[in-house]
This record gives sequence, C-alpha cells and structure tokens, in this order.
Amino acid sequence: MSSLLPQLIINGILLGGIYSLISIGLTLIFGVVRIVNFAHGEFLMLSLYAAFWLKSLAGLDPYPSLLLVVPLLFLAGLIAHRLVIQPILEAPSYMQIFATVGLSVAMQNLALFFWKADFRTVESFCSHSALQIGTLVAAAPKLIAFGASALATIFLHFFLQRTYLGRAIRAVVQDREASQLMGIDIYRIYLFTFGLGTACVGLAGGLMAPIYAIFPTVGVYFVLTAFVVVVLGGLGSLPGAFLGGLIIGVVESLAGFFISPQLKEAVYFVIFLAVLIARPSGLLGQMGAEEL
Amino acid sequence: MKRGIILPALISVLACLLAAAPIEAAEPIRIGALFPFTGSLAKLGNETFHGADLAREWINEQGGVLGRKVEWVKGDAVDTKAAVSEAERLITVEKVPIIFGTYSSSLSNAASEVAERHRVIYWEQGAIADNITARGFRYLFRTCPRASSFGETAVKFAAHDLCSRLGMKAKEMKIAIIYEDTLYGTSVGSAAQRKAQEMGLNVVAVEPYSAKAVDVSSLIMKLQARRPDVLIATSYMNDAILFWRQARELNLQLKAMVGTGAGHGMMDFAETFGKYSDGVFNVDFPVIKDPRVLDPKLRPSLSEFREAFRAKHGRYPAVHATAGFVGAMVLFQQVIPQAKSLDPEAIRKAALSLRVPVGGTWQGWGVRFAPPAHPAAGQNLESFPMVMQWQGGQLYIVSPAKFKEKEMILVPLPSWERR
Repeated sequence: MSSLLPQLIINGILLGGIYSLISIGLTLIFGVVRIVNFAHGEFLMLSLYAAFWLKSLAGLDPYPSLLLVVPLLFLAGLIAHRLVIQPILEAPSYMQIFATVGLSVAMQNLALFFWKADFRTVESFCSHSALQIGTLVAAAPKLIAFGASALATIFLHFFLQRTYLGRAIRAVVQDREASQLMGIDIYRIYLFTFGLGTACVGLAGGLMAPIYAIFPTVGVYFVLTAFVVVVLGGLGSLPGAFLGGLIIGVVESLAGFFISPQLKEAVYFVIFLAVLIARPSGLLGQMGAEEL
Repeated sequence: MKRGIILPALISVLACLLAAAPIEAAEPIRIGALFPFTGSLAKLGNETFHGADLAREWINEQGGVLGRKVEWVKGDAVDTKAAVSEAERLITVEKVPIIFGTYSSSLSNAASEVAERHRVIYWEQGAIADNITARGFRYLFRTCPRASSFGETAVKFAAHDLCSRLGMKAKEMKIAIIYEDTLYGTSVGSAAQRKAQEMGLNVVAVEPYSAKAVDVSSLIMKLQARRPDVLIATSYMNDAILFWRQARELNLQLKAMVGTGAGHGMMDFAETFGKYSDGVFNVDFPVIKDPRVLDPKLRPSLSEFREAFRAKHGRYPAVHATAGFVGAMVLFQQVIPQAKSLDPEAIRKAALSLRVPVGGTWQGWGVRFAPPAHPAAGQNLESFPMVMQWQGGQLYIVSPAKFKEKEMILVPLPSWERR
C-alpha cells in the first residue's frame, strides 16, 4: 500500500494545481471587489465551451486557443461587471449574493438552451501523453495545468506588487476611501479586477478542456471547492489560493484512498474548519483583510 | 302493404345506426401521459413519450382500441411535487382511467401513490427503482425490469460468460464493484454485491463514490491495490467519462469492465473514447436490431417500428423510446382489448392473466405480471436487462445467447497502449 503513496501525492498535487488555477481568479474578485461571485463556475463553463467550439469549428488545439479564450473571458467579465455587479456594489451583501446566484442560474440555462445537455470532450495534441518515471505517472495536460497555475500565481503576484496598476488595486483593498482621495478611480479598478479574475478562470477553462467533460452545469462541480480553497488560503491572497489548492488536492487524494472515496469531501471540510478555528483569516491571509 | 312499412322502417333504423356509429367511435379513449416534459429530466422523459406516442399512432391507424381512437391527456411531471399534483388532476379533473408514465423512479414513486389511492391503473414502462413494485400496489403495473436485476445480471455474466472466456474458475475471479452513491447507483451496486456474495464469488472491493466528484484517482488507486479481474460499475455520464479517462492515465489494468446502464450506455461514452470504449460491456434495456430473434408475428414488425420512428425523428429509436413503445403496445394491443372495457378492475384482471413468451415484444421481453401477493406485485417478471458490448462505437447484444448479435471481443482487455 505504501508503495502507492508517492503516486497518490502526485495525483493530489496535480489535482490541487487545477483547484488553484480556478481559485486565483476567485480570490482576486473576492479580495478586491468584495463580491462573492457565485457565477465563477459558470465563467469556467463558458471558457470550457469556448475551447470546445474553437476546436470543433476552427480546429484549434486548446493550448493555442488560450490566446483567444483568455481575452474573450476578460471581455465577458467586463460585460458582466458592467451589467450585473456595478449596480449592486453598494448594496447589502445578501443582495449581491442573490444577483450573482441569479447570474449563475441564467448562464447555466442559456448554455443548456443553446448547447444542449450533451457531454462534450476536447482532444489535444498531448491528451494521451504522460510523463513516466519508474512506476510513477503524471498525465501531460495536468502537468501543464499545474505549471501554468504556478506561473500565473507568480506573475499576478508580481503584477500586484510591482506595477502601478497593481499597487492601485492593493490600495483599494486596503482603504477604499483613502485610495479615492489619492486619485484612484475605484470603479475602474473594480471593473478591471473583475475582468482579470474572469480572465484567470478563462485560463483555467482552456487548460482544463482536455481533462474534463464539458456540459452546462460543469461549473457547479468546481465552484464550491474553489470557495473553500480561497477561504483556506486567505481572502485575496494569491499565494494562499495556490497553497490552499494544493492542500485540498492532496487531502482529497489521500482521504479517498485511505478512508473512502465517498468521504473525501468530509475530510477536507474538517481540515478546513480546523484551520479556520486556528487562523480565522486563512493560511496566508492578512488579519482583518476580510473586513472593509 | 306490409312490405311498404318494413322497408322504410328498416332503412330508417339502418340510417340511425349508421349515423350513430361514427359518433360512438369518434369518442376517443383518453389516457393520461405523465412524464417530465420540461425541466432537467425532460430529455429522456420526452424520448420515452415519443416511443409511446408512436404506439398510439400505429394503433389508431389500425382502427384504435375497442374501436375507439386513443388520445393522450398530458401531465407535466417536472418534479415529485408536480408529479403528484398532475396525477391528481389527470384523475379527478380529466377523469382518465389509466395513467401512463413516467421514466423517472422518484416521479413514478410519488405519482403511483395517488393513482393507487383513486384505484386508477398506473402503467409504468421506464422507471427501474425496485421499491416501485415493492409496495404491494394493486393497480400498478411495470413492463420494464428492476434496478436490482441490472446488478444481478452483471454478476451472473461475469461468473458464467466472462469466466469461461478467461479460462478461470468463478471462485478464482476477483470482482470489484463501484457505484455512484445516490439511489440509482446504490440499488444496482448493492444488488450486485448481494448476488456475488450469494454465489460465493471473491469480491475484493466495494466502493461507493460521489458522481459529483471531479477526481476519482484515489478510487482508481484503491482498485490498483486490490487488482480486480472484473470491475462492475454503476455510473452517470460525467463520472463514467472521468473514471475511464483517469483509469487510462493511471494505467489501471482490468480483464473486463462491465457498466450497468446510464453512463456506459450513452453515445457520449463512445464518442469520447473512440477505440478505447471498445470492449466495455454494458448491462441495460436492450435495443434489438435483428428481427429474427423476435416473434415473427409481431405487428408492427421491428423494422416497421424502427423506420417509422426514424421517419418522424430522424434517427433510430434508442433505449428509452423503445421502452415507451413496448409499454404502450402491451397496453393497447393486449391488455385493453382483453379487458374489453376501461374499467380498472377489468384491466387489472386482463393484465394479470396476460402471458407473452420471451421474444414477444420489441425489446425481446415477455410479459407476465406478478400477482398482488408476490413481493414484487405488478412487476413484469419476464422482462430483463441484457448485456451489450461497445464494438466500433456501437453497442451489440452479447448475452443472453438467444438474443446475441455479435460474439464478444477483447476479453481479456489488452493493455491500454495496445488497444
């Protein structure tokens, strides 16, 4: 049994890479715009379908088509923010929750209406390749997703730390009013950050297209885990989201094997609660970051 | 003189009869059609109804039932609440003598309760949960097989057919059973487990899992560790795809893979995996393509039914449409004519005395309903799932022998890179 342990950990880390990939966009939106975006999973669904249609209509492999999918999702994020999020920015949080849940249901049903409930799959040039070392295997699409997830985290981290725009975003997070006094247009920052967050999920969708089946409610399968990852890592913390994703992935893999596939969610929720009791602001979150 | 009276009298009587007859015949038989026509179950709900509706059209062309045309009164059972209220409406407002439905087990369970209370016949042809016919209902009849028979058929197939092909003794064979953990998977999977234990087989793993999981690698690793020869799986579509993908990624070697309906029976499975779907077995309602295995006296013939469906819907009927057609034909062609009336008691009597041998319906099943004292009262005891295998992107029946369309291939399954 213990001979399978390294493989179990590899499986967990690769799965965690996918969780991280979905969660970095969510933590940006959560941390900066302060919106609990329940439609995040549907943006994931949208990007998976974008990859599918680019493949089936234009014959584009999902990896090069990322160059289209990511900007497309950035745009979709801007539109959604303008139409749905902006009008409720000052509204009580339960109103915001209803609005994003409504957006999520609407997107699911539109997808169901236009694209039907069929299960679609996308093949990529490396769908069937794997890295094999001894008896250990890692499927190529998952390795790529993991690498992209790490790179995106590093890139976004430097973007927030070093660039003017990134600093402005952080200033808005720290003090909405003071940053306005410093001449930052907070509504443009929100708009841009929401777009950036959905662009991240666009990246996630493009990289996940060769791994998962695509159907209108696919987002639902991932979004709850993404919320857990974000809160575990600390609201608004990118390295936290990355680390949180890996932890959940490895816990799931080990719990599924040593306890029961049926109970793996229960196990990571117990760990999640324990972490929150010990560190209410999450693993890498700043104390008080969850309050404005 | 006498003659002068009789002739006009005779003519006027005849005229009256002729005038009255069409009015009598024009009054249609109204039967409740309770299906999820809209909502999340609509796809297969409508598909089942399409099959049943074809039966209605055919029977009407032949002059109807008891000389009257058949007409549906539709009820839309979106969810269990709607199923109950629509059944209530069909019975009390529309006054239908029979409710025909429902495809989904939870809907059927709820709606048949209402029919039983009102002593209205409930004719089920698509829902498979065991408990539907385990309640001792008197007015409920089900033409299709039960969930437990899916699991049992898979185990018997493994212990007999697969063992002899693999040159193993049944007791040597290592069997693993996995199933998604809602009512559907649990009833099929636990029936498989029970049957395997009853037959004294070596069950090395029984693993329920959530169909909503986005990763089943730990489940596959668990199977890696137990090294089963045959895997029996009950899955929906997404998890069936996920499992087979990750099985390949992690190089899970099985001698045979037996699915039990749902995910492993849908075209999406073959479309996703191409040649890697070949060799996978699936236990399910059959779709029979070769009329020679059926009773030659069947009217319409199998090909007439298949072509009529294709003319209307642009493709051959799949499992659910066929089940709907069979259920409706048994009712229209055999039961009501035998009952000679629409009185529920007469219909019950006719249904219970009906005997159709195996091969006597378009799905190969016979008909013999279990009497009220039977633990599965109202169940068609001559219906059974068959074992099919994906070959070149199509499912072909490989067992039972009487219905075999092709010899099974790829037993044992070759390693992934040599498929």
